[in-house]
Amino acid sequence: MSDTKATQVTLQSNDLTTIKVDRAVAERSMLIKNLIEDLGDEAVATEAIPIPNVNDPVLRKVVEWCEKHRGDSIQSAEEESETRKKMTEIDEWDQKFMQVDQEMLFEIILAANYLDIKALLDVGCKTVANMIKGKSPEEIRKTFNITNDFTPEEEEQIRRENEWAEDR
Amino acid sequence: MAPAAMSGMPHPVRDDIENTWTYLQTGISHIMLKPQEGLDLKTYMGIYTAVHNFCTSQKAVGFNNPATNITSGAHRGAHLLGEDLYKRLSNYLNDHLKQVVTESKAHTDEALLAFYIREWHRYTVAAKYIHHLFRYLNRHWVKREMDEGKKNIYDVYTLHLVRWRDVLFKEVSAKVMSAVLKLVEKQRNGETIEYNQIKQVVDSFVSLGLDEGDSSKTTLDVYRFHFEKPFLEETKIFYQNESKQFVAENSVVEYMKKAEARLEEEEERVKIYLHPDIGLPLKKACNQVLIAEHSNILRDEFQVLLDNDREEDMARMYSLLSRIPDGLDPLRSKFEAHVRKAGLAAVAKVASDADKLEPKVYVDALLEIHTQYQGLVKRAFTDEPEFTRSLDNACREFVNRNEVCKSGSNKSPELLAKYTDILLRKSSTGVEETELENTLTQIMTVFKYIEDKDVFQKFYSRMLARRLVHSNSSSDDAETSMISKLKEACGFEYTNKLQRMFQDMQISKDLNNGFKEHVQSLGTKGLDSSYSILGTGFWPLTAPGTTFNPPEEISADCDRFARFYRNKHEGRKLTWLWQLCKGEVKANYIRNAKMPYTFQVSIYQMAILLLFNEKDKNTYDEISSTTQLNSESLDPSLGILVKAKVLNVSPDGEKAGPGATYALNYDFKNKKFRVNLNVGMKSETKQEEVETNKTIEEDRKLLLQSAIVRIMKARKRMKHQQLVSETINQIRQRFVPKVGDIKKCIEILLDKEYLERLDDDDLGYLA
Repeated sequence: MSDTKATQVTLQSNDLTTIKVDRAVAERSMLIKNLIEDLGDEAVATEAIPIPNVNDPVLRKVVEWCEKHRGDSIQSAEEESETRKKMTEIDEWDQKFMQVDQEMLFEIILAANYLDIKALLDVGCKTVANMIKGKSPEEIRKTFNITNDFTPEEEEQIRRENEWAEDR
Repeated sequence: MAPAAMSGMPHPVRDDIENTWTYLQTGISHIMLKPQEGLDLKTYMGIYTAVHNFCTSQKAVGFNNPATNITSGAHRGAHLLGEDLYKRLSNYLNDHLKQVVTESKAHTDEALLAFYIREWHRYTVAAKYIHHLFRYLNRHWVKREMDEGKKNIYDVYTLHLVRWRDVLFKEVSAKVMSAVLKLVEKQRNGETIEYNQIKQVVDSFVSLGLDEGDSSKTTLDVYRFHFEKPFLEETKIFYQNESKQFVAENSVVEYMKKAEARLEEEEERVKIYLHPDIGLPLKKACNQVLIAEHSNILRDEFQVLLDNDREEDMARMYSLLSRIPDGLDPLRSKFEAHVRKAGLAAVAKVASDADKLEPKVYVDALLEIHTQYQGLVKRAFTDEPEFTRSLDNACREFVNRNEVCKSGSNKSPELLAKYTDILLRKSSTGVEETELENTLTQIMTVFKYIEDKDVFQKFYSRMLARRLVHSNSSSDDAETSMISKLKEACGFEYTNKLQRMFQDMQISKDLNNGFKEHVQSLGTKGLDSSYSILGTGFWPLTAPGTTFNPPEEISADCDRFARFYRNKHEGRKLTWLWQLCKGEVKANYIRNAKMPYTFQVSIYQMAILLLFNEKDKNTYDEISSTTQLNSESLDPSLGILVKAKVLNVSPDGEKAGPGATYALNYDFKNKKFRVNLNVGMKSETKQEEVETNKTIEEDRKLLLQSAIVRIMKARKRMKHQQLVSETINQIRQRFVPKVGDIKKCIEILLDKEYLERLDDDDLGYLA
């Protein structure tokens, strides 16, 4: 690594807008962390990092989340999977952060997945899970605007297969 | 393709594998082949994004595309794309590595090593890049495959290693290894080599050890098989040849130096550039060929080294043979035999006349051998416990069974006790206190080896008694120190009586003070006398073997003391041990004496001399009837008086006995004014020895019986055989009992009804 450790990096959305963020914030993304590690500090000091799959509004939203969570410790794989299983609660700030329209929510999830920001991906998925919780199939279809493409026979078969899981 | 051109490439169509792969391959090839040119941000992000986009394009292929060969995905719910990418990457690596294999054929030996290391380095750096670029594939498709327990699916970095191992390593590892071995041989022959190369090869081989069960872990299997094994084999062959030749051309001592240097060198080698895992097996292999295969000639040399006191070489031999299993046993037995022989020879040298043997000379001979070989054990054999044991065994042998002991097995403890007595007795040659203490410690060294400790005890207590009664012990401190040493070695019981004897002397001192005050208060003029009260059970003393009628002057004082004592301790019986009493008389009668002589005499002699206060001449019969002494006591007492010319005998030269007449010699002359006439006769001490030895047998029987009773009291019921061995165990610290004696003692106890016979060869305890 070079001596001039970059403290800030520039991210470029696919709209070609750029956002300057602290290196620690950007490194919430494993993709960017690895990239800096592989290509060296100089490479990112002068040039913007192109993020071809994310547009400007979504990238800003993601950066906002990363700024808020810049100090979070990165959990090791094992303890992480433990706490992930147990926790469906989302902290207050994150809940507010996720109060966006559905399209934006899914864009954030996709971006988190693409940029490899595990914690953000979890928050997004939990938010969606909470939207499903306690709803009937019909309500779920309505929530997410899904057309039912099952034949009645198929539907019956699925119901039978999953009978064991039903609340009674 | 230059990175600039690469970054200018349009992004591939996300769900088209051909399109995507072509794009990816360009990037991968660049990383693989020209890592020095680096990668720009756009390309990096482009490749990552292409992988991501392909893997997330599932909707396009979906359920009804059997051509992609992932129909089984239907069972896993949402299925993941990536297999195509994975396979193509794997194939790409195969092709790349085959190319490297072909190139490798142009190199041999050190050039091949350099080539291998260069390629390995480039490949692993690339692998790390590609691992990161394919992270999306790792996170999803690979993870899912592995979670489902699929074999032969690895994360991308590991995939690189696996391909390297299966394609390239398989082909070239043997050649690489032979280059390594050649290099090592060069170094062993004294050349300087580039050992860093070997270190890197080791690291590479170790990295290829992948745990098939869990790819996050590594094993040393590959390294062990492809590196360690041939390395060890080559090492063995090298040293087998070298040592064979060296031994043929050099002395054993030289060979040991060589072997030692080689062993050290190999240990260094492990530290400098080998994997620590090889440390132990390499050491074993070297030990085997350098030591074990030559152990016989080494051992044969040991006797020579012992004979010539080659301490340094023995230390070297010890350290070499200690490295192989059971390597030292033969040395130990040789050492033991040697020490025993040396001990016996040392004793034989001083034992030409066993009867006149000076105790000091004997004990010093024993100690010299012990000191010499204890030093050897310490310096050459690192004080190893087993060698110490061999030394102890040898010492025990030559201390208890040697030339001197032939005349009587009790000779060693007896001589040791006598030597102690000489040391502790007041003597003209004053010994420094610290030196005395050191000598006593050395005495204890020999004492430790004495088997018949009861014999020592017996002699020691007799001599202690004599020292105390005649108050000619050199110092109380030295006596106490010796007793506490014995106590430490043999326990309280062993020294109980010795301590009691000491106490008695102390009590007597106080008693005498009391008696003196008592006499003064009475106002009568008594003798200037002092009495010792000795507890009957504790002192190895017996009542006099003769009748005795003490002279008036003495008996009056004795009676007074006896009354005084009975007054203090009612019911105690006093027995006068006349044979131990002594006193001084002043001779005022001698003509031409400027000063009256003082004679130090035994009480018997005093009784005889006092008779001459009445008349100048006394016949033997007169003396005998007045003193009531029997001839065994009377004759030697008279003998000394005559010999010293205090008395004249007539007829001249007549032996003591009826018919002899004694007259006072008025012309007595002596250089000293104090004349010691109370000299123990040689025959007397000799007799004492015989007596002591006689009582030993009796005491042993009692000791055995009490041990048997003690054991039976605790166990109540025991097999005969068991009882015998238990008794031996208990008694062994005092002496080595014979089984026959124990059986006899058991019989005696059966007769006395301490024990009873039960069925099945059992014995029972009768309370």
